[in-house]
Amino acid sequence: MGEIQNNKDHSLYAESLRASSPELIQCLQANDMDGAIAILQQVSLVREQTLYQEVGRLTRALHNALKDFHLEIGLDGKLDVSNELSEMVDARSRLNYVIEMTEEAANTTMDNVDAASPRVQRLVERCDQVQDIWAKERAEHGDEEYSAVSRLLSMISSEGQQVQQHLQNILLAQGFQDLSGQVIRRVINLVRDVEESLVRLVKLASEVEQVAGIQSDALTDINQKETNVSEEGPYVKGVSRGDVVNDQDEVDELLSSLGF
Amino acid sequence: MACASHVSTCKLEAVLDKNMKILIVDDFSTMRRIIKNLLRDLGFTNTAEADDGTSAMPMLENGQFDFVITDWNMPGMTGIELLKAIRADDRLKSLPILMVTAEAKRDQIIAAAQAGVNGYVVKPFTAAALQEKIEKIFERIDAQ
Repeated sequence: MGEIQNNKDHSLYAESLRASSPELIQCLQANDMDGAIAILQQVSLVREQTLYQEVGRLTRALHNALKDFHLEIGLDGKLDVSNELSEMVDARSRLNYVIEMTEEAANTTMDNVDAASPRVQRLVERCDQVQDIWAKERAEHGDEEYSAVSRLLSMISSEGQQVQQHLQNILLAQGFQDLSGQVIRRVINLVRDVEESLVRLVKLASEVEQVAGIQSDALTDINQKETNVSEEGPYVKGVSRGDVVNDQDEVDELLSSLGF
Repeated sequence: MACASHVSTCKLEAVLDKNMKILIVDDFSTMRRIIKNLLRDLGFTNTAEADDGTSAMPMLENGQFDFVITDWNMPGMTGIELLKAIRADDRLKSLPILMVTAEAKRDQIIAAAQAGVNGYVVKPFTAAALQEKIEKIFERIDAQ
């Protein structure tokens, strides 16, 4: 479609050039340079106008794209930056929330590893001590029961050491939080950069629209904005969404007030 | 007796002072905690933490540290900047530094080596890798 548009603009320009050419040739032959320049200027004016219209169309498409991203343009068509960016900021907060949540989860896991590890260690140490004493008893008595307990003690000891190894692996696996967090931070920076570029583009767009005489339908955009109930994901701390419940009790309270 | 089943740990004991003071520098508290726990498992309990180079430098200047384990990618002062700052400081320049980082580009590893890093471990890493690098660093220092 862009190509067709391009051809059309091109043909408009060519047509205007063709229409002006006899006059242009006349001027040139008569050595009327002022006249020739005036004609050329008129022809390039046609080109500029088509260019403006094309930029205007692009900015309209941008507006629509932004609208799809729930970026809101102020009622009067002017830029309400705080409103405009709230969704973008929201996106960043959500990503920060992921970092916080994974950090919390990793810490919970490590708390449990920290609690379990010394217990297993004590168990193994104690077991090894008893094993030494038991070996002497066994040497004196040599009964079947004594060797059964011996086997049990050595099993506890070796299994305990295995568990220690697994606990260390669990600890190391929590490194995912650092690695994924670094990636998320990069995405957050990317979103911020895109956001800043979009603001500049939208500002530019409103100026171009004025020049190109394209009417902004910001008003209808707002009117069309429905009060849809859509999923928002988990509650993100620091992101005001107005009416947010803080805990399960509030959820229950709300539901019971509605007759559930 | 414990040495019979933990040969590598035993070697570590022979080379390393278990009381040496270690600074762990990483912007992610999760990673600081992992490294701290691994060091504790290896017998090193004298550790401190910093979240980037900017907070690490004053600690190093005042703290009598024997060893630094640092991340690369941190806001504020990065690990490579910290490395360079340490090497440029007359009192700190011989401090052994191990870099533990997700930055795995060849150029970066070369840059760290040129800046005078003593060891380089890429995340995600294993406990054995960390232990081996620490051992190697101090073996080399002892040999000098």
